[in-house]
Amino acid sequence: MPDAKHPEFTAEQIGEVRRLQALYPDKRGALLPVLRLAQEVFGYVSLEVEEYVAGLFELSPAHVHEVVTFYTLFFQQPPGRHVVSVCHNLSCHLLGAKGIVEHLTRRLGIEVGETTADGRVTLLTVECLCACEQAPMMQVDERYEGLLTPEKVDRIIEGLS
Amino acid sequence: MPKLTIDGKEVEVAPGTNLIEAARQAGSEVPHYCYHPGLSIAGQCRLCMVDIEKNPRPQIGCNTQAADGMVVHTQTERVLETRKSIMEFHLVNHPLDCPVCDQAGECWLQIYYMRHGLYDPRMVDEKVHKPKAVPLGPHVILDAERCILCSRCVRFCDEVTGTGELGIFNRGDHSEIGLFPGKTLENKYSGNVIDICPVGALTDRDFRFQVRVWYLDTARSVCNGCARGCNIEVHTSRRRLHHNQGRRIARIKPRHNADVNQWWICDEGRYGFRWIDDDTRLLTPTRRADGKDVALDWDEAIGALAEALKRYRPEEIGILASPQMSNEDLFALQRIAAQLGVGAVDHRVPPRVAGDEDNLLLRADKNPNRRGAELIGLGQADGRAILEGARQRRVKLLWIFQHDLLDSGWSQGDVTAALAGVETVIFQGPSANATSAGAHLVLPSAAYVEREGTFTNFQGRVQRFRTVVEPLGEAMADWAILGRVGRALGGADPVFAAGRAEQVFAGLAGQVPAFSGMSYRGLRDAGQVVKA
Amino acid sequence: MAERIFTRNFDRPGSHTLAVYRETGGYTALPKALAMEPAAITEEVKKSNLRGLGGAAFPTGVKWTFVPKGSTAPKYLVINADEGEPGTFKDRYLLERDPHALIEGMIIASRAIDSHLGFVYIRGEYVKPWQVFSGAVQEAYEAGLLGKNIQGSGFDFDIVIHRGAGAYICGEETGLLSSLEGKKGWPKIKPPFPAVKGAFGHPTIVNNVETIAAVPHIINRGAEWFAGLGTKTQGGTRLYSVSGHVVKPGVVEAPVSVTLRSLIYDHCGGIRDGRRLKAVVPGGSSAPILTADEIDVTMDADGLKAAGSMIGSAGVIVMDETVSIPEALMVVARFYAHESCGQCTPCRESTGWIYKMTHRIVEGKGRKEDLDTILDVSKRGAGTTICAFYDGAVGPYVSYIEKFRGEFEALIPHDA
Repeated sequence: MPDAKHPEFTAEQIGEVRRLQALYPDKRGALLPVLRLAQEVFGYVSLEVEEYVAGLFELSPAHVHEVVTFYTLFFQQPPGRHVVSVCHNLSCHLLGAKGIVEHLTRRLGIEVGETTADGRVTLLTVECLCACEQAPMMQVDERYEGLLTPEKVDRIIEGLS
Repeated sequence: MPKLTIDGKEVEVAPGTNLIEAARQAGSEVPHYCYHPGLSIAGQCRLCMVDIEKNPRPQIGCNTQAADGMVVHTQTERVLETRKSIMEFHLVNHPLDCPVCDQAGECWLQIYYMRHGLYDPRMVDEKVHKPKAVPLGPHVILDAERCILCSRCVRFCDEVTGTGELGIFNRGDHSEIGLFPGKTLENKYSGNVIDICPVGALTDRDFRFQVRVWYLDTARSVCNGCARGCNIEVHTSRRRLHHNQGRRIARIKPRHNADVNQWWICDEGRYGFRWIDDDTRLLTPTRRADGKDVALDWDEAIGALAEALKRYRPEEIGILASPQMSNEDLFALQRIAAQLGVGAVDHRVPPRVAGDEDNLLLRADKNPNRRGAELIGLGQADGRAILEGARQRRVKLLWIFQHDLLDSGWSQGDVTAALAGVETVIFQGPSANATSAGAHLVLPSAAYVEREGTFTNFQGRVQRFRTVVEPLGEAMADWAILGRVGRALGGADPVFAAGRAEQVFAGLAGQVPAFSGMSYRGLRDAGQVVKA
Repeated sequence: MAERIFTRNFDRPGSHTLAVYRETGGYTALPKALAMEPAAITEEVKKSNLRGLGGAAFPTGVKWTFVPKGSTAPKYLVINADEGEPGTFKDRYLLERDPHALIEGMIIASRAIDSHLGFVYIRGEYVKPWQVFSGAVQEAYEAGLLGKNIQGSGFDFDIVIHRGAGAYICGEETGLLSSLEGKKGWPKIKPPFPAVKGAFGHPTIVNNVETIAAVPHIINRGAEWFAGLGTKTQGGTRLYSVSGHVVKPGVVEAPVSVTLRSLIYDHCGGIRDGRRLKAVVPGGSSAPILTADEIDVTMDADGLKAAGSMIGSAGVIVMDETVSIPEALMVVARFYAHESCGQCTPCRESTGWIYKMTHRIVEGKGRKEDLDTILDVSKRGAGTTICAFYDGAVGPYVSYIEKFRGEFEALIPHDA
């Protein structure tokens, strides 16, 4: 059972790591895809995962930590089962993003950046997802959902297990 | 060799020289933070902007190579305004910690603000808060708010020590210097990040809150911690003895020497000065008789030593010189041994624990002047044989310089037996130890910072160290003690009459071929290598 | 109706598949290019007046000539699919609806610059575009259009897809390269320039998705044709992403000589709910804002430059009379503060500071010096940074305040 506190890739996953490393002129180029793989396998990127991955790249853990803290898609704490990222950049702002965010905080009972107590949803605000023609919009896990209204938001949230 | 004009002055520089260095050669100072000649170019601080003709905008000097025919201006209106702007950006989130910050007085935010800033601050919003007073390791403490994110420390740990402990985490104005959570800054050169940090973000735990830097005096010296002889500056607190807990030596900083230590020093050398001011220092010539210590004045002590030396035949005397002694000390000792006809002289006492060595600065031999001892001829005999001779009572007088034989690579049993075997043990050195405790006559030497002289490093480089503070108590430089002993023995060697170390060195240069032609003036600051 | 080049496949079902792509002439430029001398391909692209469509509008053919001649080092073609400029979504459409145009363009461009390895850097949040593009790459390999000895030409070319992890600055050319190398997306100091020393220290050309997607057409129908579609200094059509208060937001293809007025009123149905236009951001959030009186400008690189703005990513954000410009500036300032990589001092410190000031103004706690401070800080920092991110931030900081100062002043208490 993959455990972010005692991370260890399976032989097959190590094979994938080596395959990714071989795609780049310098194996360090594979760091982002491997961290993404680690996040998928272990649920989030804990410090133990960072150190484990650093070992696979012969990098100092500090330099892996730099990368993990720099990019927004790496979770350093376990996220909810679903991550809802609402865009609050310019076009979405013009089309009512603020209201959508407020609606969600009320509906879910949490502030932006938090996870519901049952671990179901993490609510985030993010910068431009480049789907402005569907503003106001949000990303729910891997899907883009746009032309949001409070009603549409409710339907989407209800559909999350 | 590109020839270019800087502020109206023409200079010729080596190919690959950047504009900060070229300007320095032309006598113009270009302010900078992230640039350091010993590290890769970062180009992050944006302070080193200069105007280059045919360029529409000022360019950073660190990443611009001097080119033939280039015309550079470092003092245009535009450059001065840009510097002011960059200073403001650096201070936007900087906490006004000066009253409690050790860097005050040698802080490059202070210095450059006074030279290039002098604007009225207008940031009225809450500054970004970050961790303060975070120990990173045994020697370094971090204040992340003060950090200007120049990345010198990160580059040092990546490029010089190769240990990569430090990183810059997050992004934007929440960027923060730090260690991987839970790790420590433990490499053997960690103290260097304190020197290269332009501000009070990385400061010295040992020096923390001890004394303000504007009370410090400084003198050039050479570290005595190993055979590399890193060039140093010794900073002393003489004007505020109620600070720094009354200790005279406040801290040691490395001095640049391209051939020896570049810009760096190891932690052991940097912090290896506490003994100079601690209570193990020998202060008074002492005779031990019937279990009692009797203080002597120098005349009495020299007399007692000369009398002891004359009492024995040359083959009954054993001398263990120390590679901690300067070239001058060793030469005076060699003259005495020659005068007495003593052949049992050696400088080699093995350490109890083998010293560590690396590809950077550390040398396994933790003595500054082994080469000097070899070249000046203090290794004619074998130390082990001398010890054995003492144990067998063939050697009746053992004159030991600095060594603690009871804490060496020789077995305690052998040493104890040897010391018990001789009739007279003379100990001469700056600090007391288990061996000096059992000596019959103890002569206090001045520590290397308390006199001047030279060491010869493992590369054969002869380097000067200069007087930093007065000797403690009655302590005297070894060459001066030995000079008086020589005269007491009736010796007419001019070295025994020398009043200054420079004269002893001149005698040495005249006598020992490796040093021929050398003089203090010729050694300057970077030293000279002995003749092959 | 103008020529449809980029969008010609967009509405065809299965347009992302190899089979449908081939139906409209896809992969017919490839054999022509494989038979041409590399320098001839570059010359053709130069003559077409194709300019970078990601933001900097640099002449593409000229950029390709910066790779050192006779260099035996491996060379890389890197596609910037890290679309992130607010108001822009055209590359997403290309990746999802016409991925093979990018692939074909990549092979041709690589032949021109002697590259055998291409990286496509797709922003991490683009999941469907990545899935579709990956599928297309797979199809291309299976059809012998990628890999060794493409179509028996002896030319080898591989594509590696690299997904980003969430950072706008990775859309900056050298920030992208740093990220490709497995580091933080810190832009690189120049010199050296990427064409000489780029990804992994080797010569690298970075081009936008749309720019490369134009290349097969230029080879197929000729540089003159492409050049003739546009203005004297910029050829072709391009994709405009239009959003905000228009009736029909979406991707619009038009010749680069189209006016902003025409885009808004002819192509996108005008302002919704019968409201009045107040302001337009013409080239992604980094482009200086234009007032309702300034929309008779041609939407090409030089036209917008002359109007004091820039074409950038051609992300057109339309604002009606209900918009509070100070709030809009706060939103934009928040974006730049969040996305500043932090590497160099002027940007790192002032993006955060200026956001705090705009926030304070919107909250009614502005001080009367704040506006001039923002303007002065912006001007002092512009041109001093490692990359153009900060200059992009300065675009809105300065233009919103200079053109709508009254609105800002109205929010600042009289006794401040």
